[in-house]
Amino acid sequence: MSKEYRTFREAIDALIKWTVERLERTPFAAFKFTFPKQYISPFGYLGTLTAIVFLILGVSGAILMFYYTPSIDTAFASVREIQESVPFGFVMRQIHYHASNFMVLLAVFHLYYQYFSGRYKIKNEVLWVTGIILGILTVLEAYTGYNLILNQRAMLAINIGMGLTFSAPVLGPSIAPILMGGGYFDLIVRFYALHVFIIPLLLLLLLTVHIPRALIIDMPMILGVIGAIFVTAGMFPAELGLRFDPTKGSVEVPEWYLTSIYAFLRTGSERFWAGALLPLLFAIFFLIVPFVDKSKKLSWRDRPFFAAMGIASILMIIVTTVWGFYVDFSKLTVFEQLYVEPVIYYSSFGIITLISFFFTYRYLTKPRGRPTPAKPLVLSPRAGTAGVVITLLLVVAFSWLAVLTYLENMPNISMFNMGMSMIMLGLMLHIYRHTASAAAKT
Amino acid sequence: MSVQTKRRNVLRALLSVAVLAVLAPFSGLARYFYRESASQSQRQKIANVNDLKPGSYVFFSYPRTGDPKIDGDPFRQYILLMTRDGKIRAYSRVCVHLWCLPTYASDRGLLVCPCHGSIYREEDGVAIAGPASLQPYPYNALPMVKLEIDGNGDIYAVGIDGRIGLGREWRNRSPDENVVRV
Ligand code: FES
Repeated sequence: MSKEYRTFREAIDALIKWTVERLERTPFAAFKFTFPKQYISPFGYLGTLTAIVFLILGVSGAILMFYYTPSIDTAFASVREIQESVPFGFVMRQIHYHASNFMVLLAVFHLYYQYFSGRYKIKNEVLWVTGIILGILTVLEAYTGYNLILNQRAMLAINIGMGLTFSAPVLGPSIAPILMGGGYFDLIVRFYALHVFIIPLLLLLLLTVHIPRALIIDMPMILGVIGAIFVTAGMFPAELGLRFDPTKGSVEVPEWYLTSIYAFLRTGSERFWAGALLPLLFAIFFLIVPFVDKSKKLSWRDRPFFAAMGIASILMIIVTTVWGFYVDFSKLTVFEQLYVEPVIYYSSFGIITLISFFFTYRYLTKPRGRPTPAKPLVLSPRAGTAGVVITLLLVVAFSWLAVLTYLENMPNISMFNMGMSMIMLGLMLHIYRHTASAAAKT
Repeated sequence: MSVQTKRRNVLRALLSVAVLAVLAPFSGLARYFYRESASQSQRQKIANVNDLKPGSYVFFSYPRTGDPKIDGDPFRQYILLMTRDGKIRAYSRVCVHLWCLPTYASDRGLLVCPCHGSIYREEDGVAIAGPASLQPYPYNALPMVKLEIDGNGDIYAVGIDGRIGLGREWRNRSPDENVVRV
């Protein structure tokens, strides 16, 4: 070495500088990483959180691949091995499973936050459209993933999904055999290929278009979300279910993000039009919204029609999902337990959607009297009080739930504790950061 | 047109021909994604008429490959049965509701699905009860195997009428048409 460094720190700094200068010649230079010095709004941060959960899924999934075998006769047994005998296999599977739920959930929240704040305008159309495609791919990724276990529940989802594809007009009959191959023995391999390579690759490629160049790394928030994944895994660990057996019936309800589609199918109406039309309309609506909503207004308050559409769509999701989970155990046969009366179903769903649309629209278009004077931009010290109180209440409610589960018999204490310690670390980081910036100000 | 432009055009034409010549062999690529050997129909002996009596049945897999993993696939499971009044029939065993495997209740002359209780008639495979019967035509009948019965009474499977797991267009086609004596 030609130069001498007096302290270890100097040497490290020099090494970092050296690396950064070289990295400037790579695509990395396009990104700017910032570590915020202050608390930032979690809503605007939902997208980054989704991406981070996606990374976690990539890592945990890759590790699961060491044991999982995509074969019709060994798939279930290999998942059982991971779950029951591989050291830490249980933890890996729980992380992967719960992170996938979190990813779908965060993506949905992200979508609606951006929708209501009109982010698809102001030259963001490409970001918006790639975001919608990313969302669809995320659901497909989750779907192909939980089918790989080949338990009863997975088979139900496979049957629903494949039935929908088969019955899709025009393209369906030629697309479905591509996924099915010669039967289940092909299907499982193809779903595996889609799940571990093709869809993630597409997601990554689209992500390069979708993520901003200024990447914010907000450690407390990230730790909070990862911790939350662990805590949920600790409280509600994913089970194995029953091995798929086509000669036995069972009452199963698919994963929560599919139950709304399931509800439609259970009314016994024609498969494609019931099960696929609505999600399709959803996707199309969100895809074209930036090209239809041309007003310059960003806030949802100034866009009554689109705000009402948004609220109505949320209620629609909720109503159909609740119906999907509804099982009438007072009935004797499996079929009767799962059957949903179409008249009741469609009217409840139609009425609730229409009413919510109508009321939101009326509320927002009602003349509001004199415009309130613009608020001064100075934030009062109590600006965030409501938020803090609500957060605290949520924390209390959640801890109460946690304590109850804990007392009953916590299925998986260790993961719960791991998650809690992560959340605590995040909290400490936040306090540290807060005091550091406060100290810097004085 | 100057000589240069003419030359350039000729070169361009040649180039496009070359690109096409390279791409042409890939035009059949789509076939890669369908496992054709799985869907090809073959002539396969299943049983002999003389071994069957009204209400008896045999399960078989079709098209048989000899690989137990493939032959054991639900989508290749079929049932050959003799109805109570002596007709020969063969159906896919995949319920058109959610793909469980129905069994034959010979005393009642019905195929009964274990999962949600769909019930199919033995003589034409049409669902008369349960969720499968609620599905619109043609998604409410089991696919049939086309059979040939030769002079010795040997029964051969020769093809499929309908789509496995989905249904069969049965309205304008008598189930007898799928059983041919040769
Ligand atoms: S799968 Fe046969 S009735 Fe549902």
